[in-house]
Amino acid sequence: MRNALLIAWREIRWEIFGDRSAVLRMGIFAVLPIVFVFTNRGPRTNDVALFTLALQSALFPALSGVALIASTFTQEKENGTLIPLLATPVRDIDIVVGKLVGMILPVFAICIASVALYFVLVSTQYGVTRVVLALPFGVLYALVVLALLYLLTAGSWVLIVAALVKTSRAGQQIAGLLIGLSVALFTGLGFAAANIADGWALVGLGVAMLASDVVALEIARRVWRREEVLARI
Amino acid sequence: MIEVRDISRRFGQLTALDHVSFRVEPGEIVALLGPNGAGKTTASRIIAGLLAPSEGDVTVDGISVRADPNAVRRRCGFVTDQPALYDRMPLRDYLSFFGALYEVPAPGKRAMELAIMLGLADRLDTRLGSFSRGMKQKVAIARGLVHDPPVLLLDEPSAALDPETALALRTFIVSLRARHRAIVLCTHDLDEAQRIADRVVVLYRGRVAREGTTDALRAAPQQTYLLTYLGDEGAAHAALARAGVTAQPASANGTPAVRFSAEDAASTNPAVLRALLEAGIGVLTLTREERTLEDAYFAIVSQAKQA
Repeated sequence: MRNALLIAWREIRWEIFGDRSAVLRMGIFAVLPIVFVFTNRGPRTNDVALFTLALQSALFPALSGVALIASTFTQEKENGTLIPLLATPVRDIDIVVGKLVGMILPVFAICIASVALYFVLVSTQYGVTRVVLALPFGVLYALVVLALLYLLTAGSWVLIVAALVKTSRAGQQIAGLLIGLSVALFTGLGFAAANIADGWALVGLGVAMLASDVVALEIARRVWRREEVLARI
Repeated sequence: MIEVRDISRRFGQLTALDHVSFRVEPGEIVALLGPNGAGKTTASRIIAGLLAPSEGDVTVDGISVRADPNAVRRRCGFVTDQPALYDRMPLRDYLSFFGALYEVPAPGKRAMELAIMLGLADRLDTRLGSFSRGMKQKVAIARGLVHDPPVLLLDEPSAALDPETALALRTFIVSLRARHRAIVLCTHDLDEAQRIADRVVVLYRGRVAREGTTDALRAAPQQTYLLTYLGDEGAAHAALARAGVTAQPASANGTPAVRFSAEDAASTNPAVLRALLEAGIGVLTLTREERTLEDAYFAIVSQAKQA
């Protein structure tokens, strides 16, 4: 696990924070809650809209994370930087987990910041009492957990795709497809979940993602054997 | 010590290596030669523990690459033709990162030592993306040496380097031999192989076409001689024919010359000289021609193609 943390730290320090454009791209998602709030004010804003916007604040940054993960892996393959890493005495699972954590942690931090900013802005706009009634802290917590589960699940599936494709263009295209499908799925589920008072739809979604995540991580670990990756470089 | 024992490697229908065996002792440089697709890179990746052989086994210091690939990786430094560096990282952090992955006790200190050794001490805190091609290749070598491995696998390390940097690199590789490292050098540069390799393994279509010391490979069944002379060309060839020698016309800086082969130089060469002197031909020089590794390589590959 020490090696996984080393790999994760390198990704965060040098690939995320060492790349100004990556920081800027992620920063755009921190601005989204402001846009959501100020484009939805007025008498028509109801509890469903408040919930849907909270869902978007939590998940939109996560969607960007999927593209980030896809590009990081496929670029490593294209640049050949994966070979020296695979030549080290590090277990395959440490490489997979390290890369995944290194990409997911910064994006997850943005998700949390985005939800927090949304809550502050929307409370300022409509008053804390009304917002807490529409969005209890349990729901906000569930949204953040949902974002993390989504990142883990989509990240693992993207990792599998990145191991199988040869070019970063192909990886990006498949990641784009995954993001598009996710947006459609979350939009539908957002409205469905908002209309179910006890939030069981969110719990169900969370459990489904957890199951998918376990499967995806196992496949990713198997696909990301040195043998398989090298055969495709 | 590296022992490659009868390894084969298949990728689907393609057989990249077919029952290949050779050894590399400590303090020895073995060059793997062969045309593109001969299996050099596959062989070096199997030795480095990156690929498992489909059949056979490789041991490094007695450890099987099949049984414990991580232990083999700990003993191998692997340098590819492309430096493949993380461009955003400064040199110090880069070498420290790999040092930590190889569990080097003090990776920061080791990074400093390597930077000094390779003349990059003043660039320790510079991002690798700004380095020249030669400097990047030095960093790749430093990465391969960060854990001070007993085995070094160099896959075309001097490809795309300028002559000066390539020379410095060769000198450095030779210095590693003096420190008892077992070195495998995959290269297309036959001159480089001739200069620094102790032994050569020629691969052709995944098989060992020839193996031996560079001197043994260069040794031809018949020695070739170049003779320069003054006099009539026709008379010279007639004299050589009388001496029982089949000579080919040649040229040495504008001076008339002939090239001939002799199985027994002790009897043939005096006979050639006598015949030429009797014909009134002035012999200027008679020298034995050294067969280069390049000549030997092409002869071996040509034989392998025919086989």
